Amino acid sequence: MKKLFNNIYSWIDERVQISDLVKFMSKKYVPIHSHSIWYYFGGVSLFFFIIQVVTGILLTFYYKGSSEQAYESIKFIMSKVEFGWLIRSIHAWSANLFIFTIFIHMFSVFFERTYRKPRELTWVTGVLLFFLSLSFGFSGYLLPWNELAYFATKVGTDIVGVVPIIGEPLKLLLRGSEDVTGATLSRFFAFHVMLLPLIFSLILFIHLLLVQIQGMSEPVEEKVKGNMPFFPNFFLRDLILWLLVLNILAVLAVFFPSELGLKANPLAPAPAGIKPEWYFMFMFQSLKFLPSKILFIDGELLGILLFGSAGVLWLLVPFWDRKTARGQKNRLINYIGIFAIIFIIVMTILGWVL
Amino acid sequence: MKVFVVSILFYTILFSQSKKIDQCFQCHMEIGSIQAEQFVNDVHKSKGLSCSSCHGGDNTSDDDAIAMSAKKGFIGKPKPDKISEICANCHSNPSKMKKFGSSVTTGQMENLNKSVHGKASTVANTSIAQCTTCHNAHGIVKVNNPKSPVYPTNIPQTCGKCHSNVVYMQKYNPSLPVDQIEKYRTSKHGMLNKAGNKKAAACADCHGSHNIFSAKDVRSSVYPTNIPTTCSKCHSNKEYMKEFKIPTDQFEKYKESVHGIALLKKNDISAPACNDCHGNHAATPPGISSISKVCGTCHALNAELFASSPHKKAFEKNNYPECETCHNNHNIAVTRDELLGVGKTSICSKCHSQNQQFKGYTAALEMRKLIDDLTEKHKIATSKIFEAEQKGMEVEEIKFRERDINSSILEARTVIHSFDVSKFKEVIKKGEIASDEVISDAKSKIDEFYIRRIGLVAAILFSTLLMILIYLYLKRIEKEKNI
Repeated sequence: MKKLFNNIYSWIDERVQISDLVKFMSKKYVPIHSHSIWYYFGGVSLFFFIIQVVTGILLTFYYKGSSEQAYESIKFIMSKVEFGWLIRSIHAWSANLFIFTIFIHMFSVFFERTYRKPRELTWVTGVLLFFLSLSFGFSGYLLPWNELAYFATKVGTDIVGVVPIIGEPLKLLLRGSEDVTGATLSRFFAFHVMLLPLIFSLILFIHLLLVQIQGMSEPVEEKVKGNMPFFPNFFLRDLILWLLVLNILAVLAVFFPSELGLKANPLAPAPAGIKPEWYFMFMFQSLKFLPSKILFIDGELLGILLFGSAGVLWLLVPFWDRKTARGQKNRLINYIGIFAIIFIIVMTILGWVL
Repeated sequence: MKVFVVSILFYTILFSQSKKIDQCFQCHMEIGSIQAEQFVNDVHKSKGLSCSSCHGGDNTSDDDAIAMSAKKGFIGKPKPDKISEICANCHSNPSKMKKFGSSVTTGQMENLNKSVHGKASTVANTSIAQCTTCHNAHGIVKVNNPKSPVYPTNIPQTCGKCHSNVVYMQKYNPSLPVDQIEKYRTSKHGMLNKAGNKKAAACADCHGSHNIFSAKDVRSSVYPTNIPTTCSKCHSNKEYMKEFKIPTDQFEKYKESVHGIALLKKNDISAPACNDCHGNHAATPPGISSISKVCGTCHALNAELFASSPHKKAFEKNNYPECETCHNNHNIAVTRDELLGVGKTSICSKCHSQNQQFKGYTAALEMRKLIDDLTEKHKIATSKIFEAEQKGMEVEEIKFRERDINSSILEARTVIHSFDVSKFKEVIKKGEIASDEVISDAKSKIDEFYIRRIGLVAAILFSTLLMILIYLYLKRIEKEKNI
């Protein structure tokens, strides 16, 4: 068996010289310290992304991206296709867990100041991946063409329209018509399965390449106890965690299968209590709290501009946090991070309770 | 001196009397005017009104030029759009009417303007009907005067002047029939009316007089949901109906019937009102032989099946009304399966027993058992679907198939009217097949629910085992390399 494996390896190596890569990988080490656990969330996020790709491809075998057939095709997937219900349920749950682990990964990197030189670009690509993940969630939410998705998309795209100058053209670009229609569904389907995966894969490749080239960052304030080979030690630990989250995913998918609800009816009145997905809730709730006018500016517009500015600042953290770059302690980063987490949690809870 | 005083008195009396003389009426009578002749008996004349009250002018002057001068407000023959207005000058003014000692109501003009007859006519900017269209112009008499065109026995002819005139009606409502009077004369109401009975309903009794709306208008007294109440005004009045010697409980019964509930409580205007069975203008009670035809206008299949059933002959022989014998007439209750069979609540047992008409007795018994069994299966199917749905399984398609069971039950309830057990069995069979499929599919979904859990447990066990193996392997290599 070992001989056969060696023969196959030699055959490939003779043609594509993978021994250099293997040599490089075998020299990859992961620092061991009391915060090492945060290293795993990048890998778990990647695992969920892989699940999304696989289940997403399986769903496209049967899904039909038109307002006349979308809902029916999902119904068909759930009732007629072998394990269709499981695939759809896993896709929906995995999407939520994917964004959840990205949140954890991103905040752990933020608090550990891993974005500091020379990993500025890794941070920027990571934040871009986070924004793209939210876009995946927003575009995928409409695809079942059910009542809740329809009206949530209507509200979501309306918010985009508030942005000055570019808002209306952007809203039109997203919707493909004045209102949310079949044209919007076709567009969102194209975004979800073509445009976003293409951009996401490209940025993810750069992100992973940078991680491989630069290696794992060591924390500023923690004492490193030693190193662990990435292969096989860290990788096998990753594998155990992946199997664990797979179990959690399976339990969620079986016990709380994704519901389909009623088919979207553009002529029907909006049902009561339309809420966005949980990861948009903090923004949605904050906009609801804002008064209609703040001084001379429209409240909603001000809120959108604030969130937009916060997003840009978040993306550019490595470039304005000069203290950390100089190797100094920057407590402001901790305060910002804690405030952001508390704000997101409180607003999300209020969004569900109120 | 004495001669002078007498002369003064004579001229004073003559002068005062000449003022009271209606010069218009006098002159027009002298020239043989038909209008003036008609006005002799007009109720308005008896109240002291003169020609000038409507036509304007000065009725005290015997000089044409003065009496009919525009200065004196003479308008001559009123333009059509002015006629009703002239009438309304008094008839819409309660104080004026009181001055004439009249107790006639004063809302006629308002009602007329709102009514279908108040709409613009085709000839000019006037309403279709003026007051004079129905009441005449110069010989108007009180409504309770048999000479009045709106006296109950004269109303049909008055309305018929326009409504039986094909050419006239084509201008306003070509789709409206023009045979109402013809039909009316064949009805009980029409026959009594012709015989001079003023209590029998004429056009205005059902449609109203000044406030007539199209039958399609919800405000109309003959709009489907209003018809039972309109008919009941007379037919539920025991005192009023005394001389006609017919029951007065129809409305009370109808209100509680399946038809009455549908029409009056659920506002389902496809449900029959009185006129749908009795006719409207030709209203008459359907005879025994025609009841099934009348019911069959809606319940076509039931009537057809009954006509080919053995009961048809038997009912004819015994002079039983077809549908009414089992379902009653005004108080038709919602049909239930309990009406079938040989139990206490069944209708079949009224004629069929173990000792009498035994063939029908066994057929009723068998059909009841068949439909009861199917209903029971339907219940099981519904509960299984509910159970699967509660477990979060997708059951839309099974629910769709479940409709077939219901259809079969409904069809069986229709096929009963053939009283043919073999036909009945065929329909029940379709329902049973659908029931079996639905129960089986729903059970599969419930099984699948448990299989999912078993599958989940197996998958978790497998991956946990894998995790343990990886962990043990990891420990071993880390121990070897001392990490």
